[in-house]
This record gives sequence, C-alpha cells and structure tokens, in this order.
Amino acid sequence: MSTLVLVMLVVPFGTAAVTLAVGHLSDRTAKAVSVGGSGLGLVLAWVVALSHLGEAEPLQHVYASTATVGPAIELAQYVDPLSAVLLLLATTVAFLVQVYSLGYLEHDPRYPSYAALVSVFTGAMATVVTADDLWVLLIGWELMGACSYFLIAHHWELGDARAGAVKAFLLTRTADLGLLFAIFVLGERYDSYRISTIVTAVAGSAPQVDELALPAVLLIVAAMGKSAQVPFHTWLPDAMPGPTPISALIHAATMVAAGVFLIARMYPLFEATPLSLTLLALVSAVTMFLAALYALFSDDLKRVLAWSTVSQLAYMFGALSAGAWSAAVLQLLAHGVFKALLFLAAGSVVHAIGGATSMDAMGGLRRRLPTTFATMTLGFGALVGVVPLVGFFTKDAVVHAAYVEAADGRVVWPWIAWLLVGSMVVTAAMTAAYSLRAWLLVFFGPEPAGARIEPVPGVMTWPLVVLAVPTVLGGLAATNPDFLGPGHDEPLSVATSVLLTLVVLVTGVLVLTAWRRRGRDLWRTVPVPHPTVDLAWRELLVRPVGRLALLARANDRDVIEAYVDGAAASARALGWLLRRSQTGSIRLYLTVVVVGATAVAVAAGALG
Amino acid sequence: MPLWWPLLVASLLFAVGVYGVLARRNAVLVLMGVELMLNAVNLNFVAFDAQLRDVLHGGQTFALFVIVIAAAEIGLALAIVLLVFRTHGHIDVDDLRSLGESGLDELDRPRGRA
Amino acid sequence: MSAVEAVFVLLSLVALGSALLVVTTSNLVHAALWLVVTLGAVAGLYLVLAAEFVAWVQVLIYVGAVVVLLLFALMLTRAPTGHTDDLTVRRALPAAIVAGLVALLLAVTVVAGFSDVRIDLDETVVGSAETTGRTVFTMWVLPFEVLSVLLLAALVGAIALSKREAT
Repeated sequence: MSTLVLVMLVVPFGTAAVTLAVGHLSDRTAKAVSVGGSGLGLVLAWVVALSHLGEAEPLQHVYASTATVGPAIELAQYVDPLSAVLLLLATTVAFLVQVYSLGYLEHDPRYPSYAALVSVFTGAMATVVTADDLWVLLIGWELMGACSYFLIAHHWELGDARAGAVKAFLLTRTADLGLLFAIFVLGERYDSYRISTIVTAVAGSAPQVDELALPAVLLIVAAMGKSAQVPFHTWLPDAMPGPTPISALIHAATMVAAGVFLIARMYPLFEATPLSLTLLALVSAVTMFLAALYALFSDDLKRVLAWSTVSQLAYMFGALSAGAWSAAVLQLLAHGVFKALLFLAAGSVVHAIGGATSMDAMGGLRRRLPTTFATMTLGFGALVGVVPLVGFFTKDAVVHAAYVEAADGRVVWPWIAWLLVGSMVVTAAMTAAYSLRAWLLVFFGPEPAGARIEPVPGVMTWPLVVLAVPTVLGGLAATNPDFLGPGHDEPLSVATSVLLTLVVLVTGVLVLTAWRRRGRDLWRTVPVPHPTVDLAWRELLVRPVGRLALLARANDRDVIEAYVDGAAASARALGWLLRRSQTGSIRLYLTVVVVGATAVAVAAGALG
Repeated sequence: MPLWWPLLVASLLFAVGVYGVLARRNAVLVLMGVELMLNAVNLNFVAFDAQLRDVLHGGQTFALFVIVIAAAEIGLALAIVLLVFRTHGHIDVDDLRSLGESGLDELDRPRGRA
Repeated sequence: MSAVEAVFVLLSLVALGSALLVVTTSNLVHAALWLVVTLGAVAGLYLVLAAEFVAWVQVLIYVGAVVVLLLFALMLTRAPTGHTDDLTVRRALPAAIVAGLVALLLAVTVVAGFSDVRIDLDETVVGSAETTGRTVFTMWVLPFEVLSVLLLAALVGAIALSKREAT
C-alpha cells in the first residue's frame, strides 16, 4: 500500500513531464496525456483514500532518511482519514478541472504548460496531505504556491494577471516564513520533524503554554497567508485574472484549504495553546465579516466568488478555534465541492458571453444556459445554506459549535467567542444577500444589449453536473461523519438551524423586494476603497523588496557588467594604443627598423 | 695598413647611407642611400678578405654576390617606384600613407604633382 | 705612411665626401652624379685592397647599370632638374641623430675590436679574374646558380610590375 501511495504521488509529476515533452506535437496528444494522467492519478487516489477512511489503521511509512546536524529529515508518509478525504477532494476536483479545461482552453496555444502545471499542482497537494515529515509538507506547500503563481499569470500579456500573480506569491511567501520558523522551533523542541511524533508528544504531555505558543502562532500565520485571512486577505480577489478553472481548483477547493488542513493536522498543538485559538477566532471573526462586506459591493462575478471564498474559509477557521474539528473538516469538504461548482459555472457563463467577468455584461441567461443555471443555483443554495443542500448541514454544525464554545467557554476568551458567533450569523445574512444578488444579476432581468451568447460545450457542463451531485446529496455524509474516524460525531442543533434559516429567508425577502423595486441597481454601491492593508503591505513588503531588486540590478549592471565591459574596453584601448604606431609613414618604419637593428646589435655585442 | 681604416670608412659610409634613407623624401634618393649602405658592406667584406687571406676567397665572392643582389633589388625597387608614380603622380615618400590606419582613401585621391 | 696607404686615405675622403653630397644635395640629378663619384671611389678602394675583379664589376654594374637605372627612374618620374627645395625632410635632426649613433656605434666597435690587426697587402692574393672565376665556379657554384635564378626572377618581376594595364 505504501508503494501505491508513492506511485500515486509520482504519477502527477510524471504526467506533467510527459505533457511538456510531447504536448507540442498536437492538440490531441497534449489533451490525451494530461486528462489520462489525471484520471490515472484519480483512480489511484480513490483506491488509497477509500482504504483509509473511518476505522482503518492510518498508514505510516518512511521511505528514506537523511542524517543532518539536528533531527533527521525523512521522506515519511502518513495517511489517515483526514488525508484520505482531502485526497478525494483534491484529485476529483483536479480531474474535473482538467476535463473542463478541454473546453475552456480549447484554442489556447499555451495549453501544454497549463495542463502540466495543473498536474504538478495536483501532485504537490497530494504531497502536502500525505506528508508526515514537516519538510516534505513544506516542499509541497511551496510547490503549490509556485504553481499558483505560474497559473495566475497564464495570460501573462495582461498586466492584471502579472500583478496578481506577483501579489499572491509575495504575500503567501511572506506568510510561509511562519511555517519555516515553526518547523525550526518544533524540530528543536521535539527533536524530530515528524508530524506524528510531534503530535503524539504534545498530546501526551501537559500543556506548556509558553513553549508551544510560538510555533502555534507561527503556524497560524502561515495558514492565514495561504488561506487569505486578514491581514493577508487581499491576494485572493486579485488572483482572479487567472483562468477560471484555476480559480476553481486552486483558489477555492484545494490550495486555500491547505491552511485549514495544516491546522487540522496539527490540532493537538493548538488545543494545548488557548492563546493561539483565541487569535484564530479573532482573525476569522474579522475576516468573514470584512470579506462578505466586500462581496456585497463587488460588480465582478469572480471577485464576488473570491471574497465569498475568503469568508467561508474564515468559517472553517472559526470552527477550528471553537474546538469543532470535524465541523471544520466537513465545511472544508463541502465548500470545496460547491465553490468549485460555482467557479466552474461562472467560467461557463464568462465563456458564453465572450470573456467579460463584470456582472454588468450579464443578465437573463437562464434561458440560454439551462444546465449552468440549474447547477449554479444549487451551488449558491449550498453557499447560502439552504436545506437540504450540503452547505446547510455544515454551516449549521459550525455555528452551533461556535455557540457552544461561547456559552461554555472552554478555550477561547469569552467576548471573542461571542464576537465570533455574532459575526457568523451576520455573515450568513450577508452571504445570502450577495449570493442572491449575483444569482439575480446573472440569470434574471433583461439580456445585455448586443450580446453574442455562445453555447457551452459539453465538456464544460458535464463536470458541473458531477459536482452538483455531492452538493445535493452531501448532507447524508455530513450528518454521519464516521468516515472521518472514530469518535467524530457532530450533533446538529435544531435551534441553530431554525435561526439560520430564518436569517436567510428574511434577507432573501429584503433582497427580492429591492430587486422588484429597483431592478439591477439593488443597493447604492459604496465605493470600496483600496484595502488599507494593501497600503501597509506596500510600504512594509513591496517597497523594500523593490529596493533590494534595484540593488541587485545595480550590482549586476555596475559591478559585474563593469568588469565585463571593462575587459572589452581595455582591449579596445590597448588596440587604440597599438594603432598609434600604424602611421603609414615609411620613414617611421625605416627608422624603427634601423634603430631596432642597432639595438639588437648592441645587445648581441653586450651579451655575447 | 691597419684593418680598422677600411672598416672605419665602411662604418662612416654606412652611417651616411642611413642618413640618406631616413632623411630624404624622394624615393629614388632613398634608394641611393640604400646603395651606399650596400657599398659599405662590400668594403667590409673586401677588407676582411684582404686581411684573412681566405683560401676560399669568401669575402670577394660575397662582395660579388652582394653586387648582383643589389642590381636585382634596384630593378624591382625602381619598377615599384614607377608604379607609385603612375598611381599617385608623385614619389614623395612622406605622402604615401596608405599603409596607415586611415590611409586607404589616399589611393582614391592621387595628388597631381608634376 | 706608404704610398698605398696615402692613396687609400685619399680615396676614402673622396668617397665619404661625395657620399655626403649625395645625401644632402638639393639637386636630384646632381645626387645621381655624386653617387657615380662615390661608387668610383669605392671601386678604387677595392683596387687598393687587391680586389681587382670586384672593382671592375663594381664599375661595370654599379656605375654602368645601376646609376643609369636610377637616372632613368628620375627621368620617368618627371624629376625636376635644377634646385629643388623639399628633397630632405623638414626636420632632419632625428635622422641625423640616428645616423650619428649608428656611426658612433660601428666606429667604436670596429676601432676597439681591430685596433691591433693589420692587413699585409704584400702577401694578399690579388683577386684577379682567374682566381675569382676559379673560386666561384668550383666552390661557390651553387650560390652562383641561385643568384642567376634570382636575377631572372627580378627581371620577370620588374617587367610584370611595370607593364601598363591594357586600357
């Protein structure tokens, strides 16, 4: 089985290599290789995952070990139910995205590099979720960041895409310093880089708040960067100039969920440090509200979905801070499914109207794009938390857990816990508002003037249908979370469900009334100022990095190139000097000959 | 007679020839300086031959050979001087700069000097 | 000083004097004529040094052919007859210095090196035609043949160089 896991990890990288090698030969070759490889990886992942769900024994295997000055760095693997469900999510969404891209990027000449990068990303995500050694996890983590950078800038001729890619990379990379230093501290403290070793040691010993606070907070910083929480929240919406399938895969379902995964994986460490959970609760409370606010006033469909992702991720972090591990993981799975569905459907809409993502260019599309309309409606419903879609159950579990935590006050400081609960409820209302607005603006009302609406190809609608199935039926799994391992059971609370449903209904009525009365201009758009956080980042991060870059360039140009140019210049100067003797004057030449011959004679006489 | 008499004469004659080569502007005059130098060398050969009383008579024979070579050389040299006169219109050595760095345009503009 | 030595000194003075005039005169044709005098004086010096054959060859070839060739060249290059101003470079001092240095060097070497060596003119073998001929055609025949080829090459070369392009 461990060999199978290794093969499963190698297949995506191998597919990427083959795609790059032969992809240029023909369109069909590139597509066949990438989709085929992805399918193979999918099958392997399902086999591995299904055999490690529920009560199954976690797989632990070490492939190689290197001796270092400190603890050994090992190629170690650990597959438990958490890894299994994330493998399922990641590889399935990746495969569906590969299929979807066949249609979305049909005429794109850069398809081979795109498909290869998606494969590499899939492999990196699989590495992260099955890693037992913190360094292996870091490698996968950074590789995902690199793939994200390349894929956001897929259309590198667009200034927005380039800027968005650099921003994403810089912000996440800065936050990843947290992970790096956490690894150093943990390795130092527990004399091992193995996650299983560290977690067991932490769970076994008495909580030592002082020593564990630092790595816990550092890990939270890394997770916040990767999952776009305050203050690292601004990169995700700016990553939207990337192709929509990428937004679905990386920025909705998998990479941004890696932050949640990290915290979930090392949860005993956080349980032992109440300070870290409090910090997490505060951050998530602020983020979910702020992001929903931005989504409410955004006119770009993809930006609405991006801010929505940030907000929903905050829900997951909120659940984790309240001690509800399984609620958070279930929300992660559910969100991965319906957000991917929403993004792919949005891509389908964008593709149909010729590339514009602003909702001003959309309207009344429900008749022209029926499948997209149906699936996207289900997606929005899950996002809002409409019964009986999967989002209802998971959101209910999360809010209930937060309420329980606030009421019983186990770990998080009370007023922060209450802030979290309140924020969750208010955000639920805002979620309903912006989702309904987007739904109405895209699918209802008059069609945009002079629009050419192309039909959506089958390869693009088929994944939507596939994703719609767990969106609808996922509630069954959410209410029976045994597959997450023994002892995981999330009771649902009737009171919370009723409250949330009421909130959603009231919001829905208000929005619909505004729609009736005011048409497309639902509410006065508050001009959203450039996030002040970005200004802070610009001063703290971008300017110094820019200066460093200038310094490096100056060094290269004025120091190193000066030597090269100097060599050329000195050769030229020497030539100029020697050319002085080529006067063309025969007299001079003869004089030199005579004087030279005389000198030689003297020398011969003197020496001989 | 002391050997150094003819040798001194030859040295001075050689020096005069050097001056003639370096200081004269007309190409034919330069060649005359060359002839003086060759004669000085010949005198040297003959003087040593007289002093050493060589069985092979190497000195005098070499002097003969030098005369032959001088004749061949002057023939060719004057042919070249003639060509220079034809292309440039003068044989002033100072103005023949086409061997120099920027001298190639000299050939395009021959000076018309009688 | 014996008579031979006196003659030698006289001829040397003539040779050197006329050589100086060759290189300093401002009349082109005069220079050629002074060259004749120089070459003739040198021929006389050869005679004094018992190089008979060389002396007559000198007169025949040098005075007879080479100087005539030089005069032909002067004529063909439209050399101005009479006084010409710019036959010598304006700044002749460097050339004079170089020549002076060469003279000094050679003279010092020669006088210092051979100050006590004498030529015994009574014992020398006179370089008559017979002696020279025998030597050349027995011991120096290879250089002799090579030189004739050289002359041929020079002849061909001179003709090839001075041929006028067919216009």
